[in-house]
Amino acid sequence: MSSRRFSYWIPVALLLGIVLGAVIGFVVPRGESLPGDDSPEAGFARDMTTHHTQAVEMGLIAYTRAQNPDVRTMAVDIALNQQGQIGMMQAWLREWSLQPTGSQTPMAWMPNGAESVVNGLMPGMATQEQLKQLREATGLEEDKLFLELMIQHHLGGVHMAQEVIKLSKDQEVVEAAELTVNSQQRELTDMQSLQKEISAAS
Amino acid sequence: MSTPGPERVPSTVKVDKTTGQGKPPAGKPSGGRPGGPNRPGGKGGKKGRKPVTPVKVAGGRNWGPIAVAGVVVLIAVGIIGWSVAASVQSDKKAGIPWEERASAIADIVNFRETDPDLVKGSQHKNGALTYAQDPPVAGEHNPSWQNCNGIVYDAPIAKEHAVHSLEHGAVWVAYKEGLPADQVAKLAAKVEGREKTLMSPYPGLTNTVSLQAWGYQLKLDSVDDPRIDEFIKALRVNASIEGPTALCDSGVSATGTAPQS
Repeated sequence: MSSRRFSYWIPVALLLGIVLGAVIGFVVPRGESLPGDDSPEAGFARDMTTHHTQAVEMGLIAYTRAQNPDVRTMAVDIALNQQGQIGMMQAWLREWSLQPTGSQTPMAWMPNGAESVVNGLMPGMATQEQLKQLREATGLEEDKLFLELMIQHHLGGVHMAQEVIKLSKDQEVVEAAELTVNSQQRELTDMQSLQKEISAAS
Repeated sequence: MSTPGPERVPSTVKVDKTTGQGKPPAGKPSGGRPGGPNRPGGKGGKKGRKPVTPVKVAGGRNWGPIAVAGVVVLIAVGIIGWSVAASVQSDKKAGIPWEERASAIADIVNFRETDPDLVKGSQHKNGALTYAQDPPVAGEHNPSWQNCNGIVYDAPIAKEHAVHSLEHGAVWVAYKEGLPADQVAKLAAKVEGREKTLMSPYPGLTNTVSLQAWGYQLKLDSVDDPRIDEFIKALRVNASIEGPTALCDSGVSATGTAPQS
């Protein structure tokens, strides 16, 4: 009878419904994978903001004080680019409903990361004393000191970005970190050739 | 529904038992044909017409409820899936908004509520300024801000610059002059190297430490008070009325209570 067929189809339809419902439930809401407060993504966004903030500071100092026009161009390019990235990373944290300030120690999101922090400074970051020297340096000494400090800074930044690429599955974060690695590695090469140019001229 | 029910149930049970020897789900498509001859037999009361017609009718009748049931189940499970996913999402979003975090801190003073005009943003003004709060938490300020990228100042700074830093989202940790070095070091550990924070001794402060963010203040008597971290977590950057990218460098790095401009 019709009810006989019906009775067969009910479990099949139910099964189908469950499968499709599960598929919808798992696939559609991508927000399910929002990074949490202690995630590598949140740690990266916060710590890279700190790291970038110092690059902006050094870049703005060199933009106003360096002698070599190519160094000044490089300095303002780094400052504006990294300031833009800070805005992006802060927007991530807001999208994830997280605070700009985390509860973990700096770099805790990276394996052995916390050990790499010296006096509150992440890898490659300059000390307050070095920043003071940069603010006060004159002539080409300013250019040389900026290049020296920014090369160290970039080496630390590239390392942090490479680590989050390994740790994260968040496409947006990984893509941004890849951009950081690419642009900073290119800038490293450019800064090294500027170093040679300046030491040859002086 | 109830009338045909009892009639049909026994026949269903019987057929189930016979076909049940095989695999019920797999036997179904093939079972439809053996079922064909059975049906006209069973439906003898409806006249033994051509066996083909009832099969078609039965098939048509079945598809309707099946489709309805399938759709209903699908929608139901889909809704369940959505709501589960949504609740998972909202769990992750359980990040409490910063205003709520701030208001949950005992003894915090929220000038955004008590004095909205003070907090809404202020003109730049050169020279020395007077403030109703001590240390100040908002209001008019000098065009230059005190550098606030995690700077620990070892001498008092000009409040006219510091207020500008607050406007940019900085938390200003002011402490009583003459505080023992080990206690100063505990506070410094919360500030040093952390952008959008600054710290300085503050002349005339009677409490051990006074925390300022734009429009907020919390005065405490111990450097070990857990509310220090809570205040910083809730208000650092968040309290800015100029967004998270307002600068904390390129400003004043000199100490001294007289403003630079």
